[in-house]
Amino acid sequence: MKIKVVTRIMEANDRIAAENKKFFNEAGVYVINLMSAPGAGKTSLIERTIKEYQGKLRVGVIEGDIAGTEDAQRIGGLGIPVIQINTGGACHLDANMINEAIVGLYLKDLDLLIIENVGNLVCPAEFKVGEDMKVMLLSVTEGDDKPLKYPLMFQESSALVLNKIDLLPYTNVDIGKIKKNSLSLNPTLKIFEVSCKTGEGIGEWAEWLQSLVR
Amino acid sequence: MHEVSIALSLLEIATGYCKREGYKGIESIKVKIGKASGVLPQALFFAFDAVKAGTIAEKACLTIEEIPISGFCNSCSSNFSVEEAYILFCPRCGDTSFRVETGRELDIYEMEVF
Repeated sequence: MKIKVVTRIMEANDRIAAENKKFFNEAGVYVINLMSAPGAGKTSLIERTIKEYQGKLRVGVIEGDIAGTEDAQRIGGLGIPVIQINTGGACHLDANMINEAIVGLYLKDLDLLIIENVGNLVCPAEFKVGEDMKVMLLSVTEGDDKPLKYPLMFQESSALVLNKIDLLPYTNVDIGKIKKNSLSLNPTLKIFEVSCKTGEGIGEWAEWLQSLVR
Repeated sequence: MHEVSIALSLLEIATGYCKREGYKGIESIKVKIGKASGVLPQALFFAFDAVKAGTIAEKACLTIEEIPISGFCNSCSSNFSVEEAYILFCPRCGDTSFRVETGRELDIYEMEVF
């Protein structure tokens, strides 16, 4: 017998993501889902951002990695509540992993929760986790061809942070091309140029993010 | 790259439906996959075959209908459809003020059950 069952395949994940979002809203915490390729500087950006917010915002972090606790140790060293998720091979975080992880965080004590996704330019863009916005980090050394090679991530993100701009003189990367193609894919994308090494541009990024936190 | 997660969700929705409605098995499942969904049909077939073993969908055959990207351009007031997995400008007039209407689907739309 044929039956019509029109159901979105991602429904199960999206349902849990909506549940997470409700928890976050009730606790009054703003949540960002930070995505990038491995080595682009997600943890460095989080460290820099946390330092900007000292005495201003209460920040918590969820670290998503395939294995290991190095990132959580780096962030924990700053005296910030941090939860490490090891996906055990999975290439992205999903809503259920976040749902289990937030049990370990006292959300009411936080203003901002940063979820550091698994380093990957493909899959994390597909899975909502309950965030208020997705932020993509691209280090300029990855090349100016990335927006057109990994369009979904650029389309799904609300902000694009371009890291390692201190290295621009040593590359033949055209940062104008990165911006132009990113904006073609997503005209409302907010773009920041930073160097987590020198601290350049971090203030502007941190100020903008803070303006969104309730 | 995450086709196994997608295949597991698909299986969970289909078998969950059968349990609730009292069906014993699934013969076929039809899905619509948008070309901009990031899911590769070949990888999804492979993943689905791996995860269906030992379930009531064990003999189920998966059919995938691929949906191209289509939309409407505000500048030239025309509908368009392309074969690529993404578009940067209207294929007719080259303007960027368009809206994408299809291509991101990831839906189950029909099953045969017994």
